[in-house]
Amino acid sequence: MAPVLTFNDVTVTARIERRNIDVLREISFTLAPGGIVGLVGESGAGKSMIGRVISGLLPENFSVSAGKVEFEGADLTALSKRERRALLGRRIAFIPQEPLSALNPVRTIGSQFSEHLRHIGIEKNRHRALMIERLQQVQLRNAEEALLRYPHELSGGQCQRMLIAMAFAGEPSLVVADEPTTALDVMTQAHIVRLIAEQQKLHHTALLFITHDLRLAGHVCRDIGVMYAGDMVEFGPAPAVLKAPSHPYTKSLLAAIPELTGPRRVLPALSDHMPGLASFAGLAGCRFSPRCAVKDSQCMATRLPARAVGEGHWVRCAERCQAAGDAPVGDLIKLPDAASTIPAVSFDRVRLSYHASRGFLGLRRSRFDAVKQATFTVAQGEILGIVGESGSGKTSVGRLIVGLERPSEGTIRINGEERMTGAVHLTGRDTQLIFQDPQSALNPRRSVLRLLTQALETGENYVPEAQRRTAAEALLRDTGLPPDCLERFPSQLSGGQRQRVNIGRALGAQPRLIVADEIVSGLDVSVQAHILNCLLDLNRRHGLTIVFISHDLAVVRYLCSRILMMHAGEIVEQGRTEAVFANPQHPYTKALLDAVPPDNADQPWPPVPAAERASMPR
Amino acid sequence: MRSPRVVIGGAIVVAMVICAVFAPQIAPNDPANQDLLNMLLPPMWEEGGSADYPFGTDSLGRCILSQMIYGARVALFVGFVAAIGATLLGTTLALLAGYFGGWIDRAISHLVDLWMSLPPVVLSVTLMVGFGTGVGNVILSIVLVDWTRFCRVVRSEVMVVARKDFVAAAKLLGFGNIRIILREILPSVTPLIITLFTLQVGIGIIVEAILSFVGLSVPADVPAWGQMIAQARNYMYQAPWGIILPIIAMFVTVLGFNLLGEGLRVALDPRLRKRNI
Repeated sequence: MAPVLTFNDVTVTARIERRNIDVLREISFTLAPGGIVGLVGESGAGKSMIGRVISGLLPENFSVSAGKVEFEGADLTALSKRERRALLGRRIAFIPQEPLSALNPVRTIGSQFSEHLRHIGIEKNRHRALMIERLQQVQLRNAEEALLRYPHELSGGQCQRMLIAMAFAGEPSLVVADEPTTALDVMTQAHIVRLIAEQQKLHHTALLFITHDLRLAGHVCRDIGVMYAGDMVEFGPAPAVLKAPSHPYTKSLLAAIPELTGPRRVLPALSDHMPGLASFAGLAGCRFSPRCAVKDSQCMATRLPARAVGEGHWVRCAERCQAAGDAPVGDLIKLPDAASTIPAVSFDRVRLSYHASRGFLGLRRSRFDAVKQATFTVAQGEILGIVGESGSGKTSVGRLIVGLERPSEGTIRINGEERMTGAVHLTGRDTQLIFQDPQSALNPRRSVLRLLTQALETGENYVPEAQRRTAAEALLRDTGLPPDCLERFPSQLSGGQRQRVNIGRALGAQPRLIVADEIVSGLDVSVQAHILNCLLDLNRRHGLTIVFISHDLAVVRYLCSRILMMHAGEIVEQGRTEAVFANPQHPYTKALLDAVPPDNADQPWPPVPAAERASMPR
Repeated sequence: MRSPRVVIGGAIVVAMVICAVFAPQIAPNDPANQDLLNMLLPPMWEEGGSADYPFGTDSLGRCILSQMIYGARVALFVGFVAAIGATLLGTTLALLAGYFGGWIDRAISHLVDLWMSLPPVVLSVTLMVGFGTGVGNVILSIVLVDWTRFCRVVRSEVMVVARKDFVAAAKLLGFGNIRIILREILPSVTPLIITLFTLQVGIGIIVEAILSFVGLSVPADVPAWGQMIAQARNYMYQAPWGIILPIIAMFVTVLGFNLLGEGLRVALDPRLRKRNI
């Protein structure tokens, strides 16, 4: 059967500051009708650029300089804008990363869907019936009512369902899904992935699945292409790539993912980070070579050809490195034990409520409980994990601990000292919060030096300006930042470096307790491994108590000795990590554990509940 | 920073400031000097013009070019001082309202709403009548009318910045409120303040011209653009240059400030800045 999509040595060149830079280098792969190819890589790998080559929406100054993109026999790059537009939506459809920003907020779901149907050439009188049928297929409850709703009245998951229905509505032969689940919760992710897979099977559509999650790709895709800095370094059937990875980058990527089962070992983390576009010009050979453990002068100077290592499985790496590139096995992690009998944090029936005024003159007030009746303790020197989906109240608990929110009811004790109800208590700097988004948490107008030493500017920690540099240098070492970045500003750092500065600033106040709120959720896995190891190290060396808030079960399992499950403001389960993972008690915990793609790619996933299996379209 | 807007606007502003500061050196004649033999002279390039008076003379035989150059003094002085006053008053209240929120914000915002519901021209003329004429009172009335614009725009920006995590982080590091406002929030809203300030100078120049046109601003012996227009009005059919030239001076100056303000808004706003790759 002729492939739907063929990339034949496609090179995309960007013209930046009067230099030509190859943003994608000789990308080749084929996608058969009804097949699924996954493109996996960290941010900056160029995987989304492939989607843009297909849609023809390359950024300014970027162009396809060599190679051919064939779609059903026609060369996409040779088509006129008009011809290409005719293909989009009808023959090629896209599922975007952020469903809410892909929809027009001032028009109803129905009118947007209907416009799309008109674009793909379906007569007006059939629209309504077709829309309802398609929305029911993606299990959108009350499809008829949903048509009258505006995007903000639906959840992210519901909007994504509707976009999936739209993408498949024109019976396209190719669907490109660019990180379709990244902006969604774990449980929603499982549903959405299942829906995409169902629709793909139902319509026999070819699917190009772009994701940063190698484990997820292993469950969804037939073939996987691993991208690094504009190169496709490895391509092959999903089981082969996951079980017998051949490129050192694939190996280290797999090794850096924390596992859900088995003994906990220190994750081997790659040094440095992916090069930016501007430094591509200096990397003539394998672009991974500066970070590669088994590089030699040959692979740094010239680009290696693709070498077959199995049935449909090739790699761009030398044969001599085949065995040597295995990531080392890390040491077993020893869990910290409680160092003192006084708990670092103790919550006793703590409630946090928000009040909203509504109605005429705000006379009617309604109450929303962000945290309901929370009772728990954190021992000194312990790492406690708080797990929950967005809106579960886990961030509110973190803000209560550091004192940014005051409890509406109940008592909070920090190191045995009671934090008063109704008064913001911020005098003690021994509890610090590391914020989720370093972009917002770092003042863009402060240099790294002034960020790290911010705690020394006032109060009891005051240090004269001339002596702050020494303190900043110590913090650089603690967080593993390069010594030359003190004079830089946050905008000049990579995402991982920014998060380290974020951690460093909190450490600068010499806290005894740190609350880390989703600090690795926006990071690539290799950077995530670094940050996690950094926290482990701080805990071990300085006896730092850490409350680690996350939605990622694997990460929490790696780091924490005890976990707390939160759902809708309530703590539904708490216990030692192994116990909770081995034998979850609460149905919510069970559901959450089921929603995570398992380590073993052979295990069927996403799970299909029996009730839904019966109603599944055939 | 090298956008054409900033360059052209900046050049006009610098030229005007030079005219104002070095008026005695640049002006070809004393602006108060009457040459009664050469009244209503056309500009030098017209027939009957004289090189002694490049832009001609007015009905009292005074040099129009010199009056225009001296007129820049009043215009820029009023424009800058009034803008500084409006910026200080508006920004201070905006920082307090945006950072503290709650009843402080409600009180200040209601005051701004109330203030803005008064028609600006009526308000400033009423204030002028109450205070009496004079440049100082012109400035005071501009400040009292225009601070609300600053307050409203800066407040909403302060509210955005105050919700950023770095402000919460500064609280956790033990920073006091004043320190947070001055060290964390003010630097982030400075680009906006600079932009508004530049635009306000242009507005101040126009208001001063309006008030000197109706004789509420400077005394009659001080040259000002509005006054020149008012006097040339009676002879506008015989000597149109007398009214056109000060209007051009005002137009170019305000255009210069607006271009500079608009250019700075783009150049200083990190969201509109091109990202380095």
